[in-house]
Amino acid sequence: MTDVAPSLPTLRVIIVADGALAAALTDELGAGADDPIGGSAHLTGIVEVVQVERAEEAVELVSATTAEVPLVVLSGRPGGVDHTIDTLDRAPSLRRASTLLVTDRAVHDDAARAIDGDRLDGVIAIPWTAGALRLHARSQIARWLRAHLPDDPRTGSLIDDTERPLELPDSEMLRDLEREPAAVTERLLAAIERVLGPRPRLHLPPGIRLTHQGEGVNGVLVVLRGSVALDRSTRVGDLRLHHGSTGPVVGLLSLAQQRRAFFTARTTTDVEVVHLSLEQLDRALRSEPEVGAAMAAVSIRALAQRLRRSEQLQVEKIELNRELDAERERLADALHQLEQARLELVEQARFATLGELAAGIAHELNNPVAALDRAASYITEDLERLVTSHPQGPALAQALTTARDRPPSSTAEEREQRRVLEAAVGDRELARRLLAAAVTDPDDARRLATGPAGEIALLEAAAGIGTAIRNLEVGAARISGLVASLRSYARPDGDPVEDVDVHQGIEDTLRLTAHRLAGARIARDYDEVPRIRCHPGQLGQVWTNLLVNAAEALDGEGHIRVLTDAPDPEHVRVRISDDGPGMPPDVLKRAFEPRFTTKQGTVRYGLGLGLAIARRVVEQHDGRLSLEADASGTTATVILPVAGPADDTTSRPQPPSPGG
Amino acid sequence: MQLAVLILEDERPVREALARDLGHFGGHVRIEVAEDVPDAWAVIDELDRDGDRLALVLADHRLPGTSGVDFLVLLLDDPRTVHTRKVLVTGQADQQDTIRAVNDAGLDRYIPKPWNPDELRSVVRDQLTDHVIEHRLDPLPHLQALDAARVMPLLRTRGDR
Repeated sequence: MTDVAPSLPTLRVIIVADGALAAALTDELGAGADDPIGGSAHLTGIVEVVQVERAEEAVELVSATTAEVPLVVLSGRPGGVDHTIDTLDRAPSLRRASTLLVTDRAVHDDAARAIDGDRLDGVIAIPWTAGALRLHARSQIARWLRAHLPDDPRTGSLIDDTERPLELPDSEMLRDLEREPAAVTERLLAAIERVLGPRPRLHLPPGIRLTHQGEGVNGVLVVLRGSVALDRSTRVGDLRLHHGSTGPVVGLLSLAQQRRAFFTARTTTDVEVVHLSLEQLDRALRSEPEVGAAMAAVSIRALAQRLRRSEQLQVEKIELNRELDAERERLADALHQLEQARLELVEQARFATLGELAAGIAHELNNPVAALDRAASYITEDLERLVTSHPQGPALAQALTTARDRPPSSTAEEREQRRVLEAAVGDRELARRLLAAAVTDPDDARRLATGPAGEIALLEAAAGIGTAIRNLEVGAARISGLVASLRSYARPDGDPVEDVDVHQGIEDTLRLTAHRLAGARIARDYDEVPRIRCHPGQLGQVWTNLLVNAAEALDGEGHIRVLTDAPDPEHVRVRISDDGPGMPPDVLKRAFEPRFTTKQGTVRYGLGLGLAIARRVVEQHDGRLSLEADASGTTATVILPVAGPADDTTSRPQPPSPGG
Repeated sequence: MQLAVLILEDERPVREALARDLGHFGGHVRIEVAEDVPDAWAVIDELDRDGDRLALVLADHRLPGTSGVDFLVLLLDDPRTVHTRKVLVTGQADQQDTIRAVNDAGLDRYIPKPWNPDELRSVVRDQLTDHVIEHRLDPLPHLQALDAARVMPLLRTRGDR
């Protein structure tokens, strides 16, 4: 027995089986207590073999010791392979062990989890060739030790009769696969030359074609030195598909495709090659088995390299596609933003044009309005002079003045007055005419009704003139107001204006957008607020957007509340609320996204564009614009600093200049 | 029974001007004015009490609270006004409102502001005449407000009865 340092853990192979199989396994692996898994005895004393009947016993066994278990040999009974391995896996040391299944069954459907979990290292059929199982176990133990206890002195002693490490393969081809590529090529050439005699070396410069794509191949070239690239001409041009992964035998794979070259092989450096015709290759393969093994190893290695490269390319392709998708998304996003910017510019240009137009119209309207206003007062003056010369002058003047200065009354009140007169004179049409002649007193009505026939007609005419003059004056004043609003609303943008009354701007907007607010009842709740520094024209756009949005939310009928206050001495707050259905959260979330809709064939600038511009204007004023909505309606809140925009660079950005 | 014309207009100067331009019909047709929709219904109630017949409504398109078009639509639901002729007098009807007025309210005519008084009177005379003919009313009491040439045949057929 070899001495083992006391600090080294015991190594134990566990057999999980019962009955005759257990005895056979113990016999094969144990082969006597002094020579377990011995074969040529180099494992002697390194591992001990223990047999149990059930996996549970194995778990119990290892939990009591510090022994390492490199290998478990199991029969999969009772309970099946997966069940047995699941049980073994409860103990960490068993989970690390290699596992061999020894079975007499032709089919197993109880090992899926074991395969999936990489827990089955070998399957041995009963009966096995005597010694084969032992050999198998020995290699497994050697590989396990190399992997788990590389520094253990026992690991180095695991060699076979020929001093070959036990974990290495024994067959020519598998061994060739593990050799250095150049070494295999050398062995291949040596084997060939054993049959054919020395082969002449061909020396070639770079750029020489060794095979030609699509042409016949009648031999192979063994590359001893230098590099060869494989190119293929395709629809998208000549592609270099392999260089590092070419392999040392050129033309071999063409034999698998009717001897047609798939690639054009081209030297990229000075190379040294040996040419073999098909006949020579055939003879070498027939006469020397090692040629076949080396050729297979060379081919498998070249194929594996190419396959790996192709798999790597596949991964790269998927990665590129992902990047492409992401890039496409970024592009779509950029396009979207560009479209938004374009819409904003269009809207700005439209507003600028409208502003100029409005300012021009306002200017042009001033003269006719002034003329109207003056004409009304001249008519009044001239009529007063005319009327005094009439025999019934005072009465006519009285009727005119009364009608002109008559305070507004509701149509219902007017009907009530008419009813009173009708009761006095007994005729509805006469009552109507009396009322039109500015007569409201029943006694006057009775006197006139019985007086001369033309008198009422005269008074009616005088009162009619009074009413007309009043309406002229009212109309002219109204136009003046509109003109003033239009001028301040459409004020061209320049430096911020000091001392602006926010209420005035809102009132101007209300007047100018009255036609868009039809159906909405406007409630004003104005608090004392400081005058602010701002761009009044731009703020007018903000009020317009918020008011029109509110009216559209009402869709016909409802209330709009305009509330102003000063939350602190530095700020003015304007809230515009409607009692419409309120925006659903998903709409609210996207309310500031510029977009436009087409409705009835005409392009309409949607909610979003207006709000986006409104928010930009407010932010350029260093203010904030927010929207809240619930079932009781939507509220837009604008908070503006009294001090106004920080400097003049915050005014409306200019559209990009051509070539700029 | 008198034929009545209702002017529904919220702006006083415009209302007064419309009423004055229709003053020619005074004495032959009852002219009523209302500043908003509730008052218009008050007028309709009053006409009903007096036994008069609302033959024609001239409504502004834009009114506070509800649109003139809505009012015209509602008239169709009331037996007292289902046959009333309807004219929209408006400075700014957008296309949609006009379409709805024609399709849903059975709008008969559309008068843009500012109006020509002769045209206004001619439209009112035509509409009243249509109303009388359509419902085979006795034209005689209203003759001064109607198109005499068009109601002649009606006069004759009624005379045959």
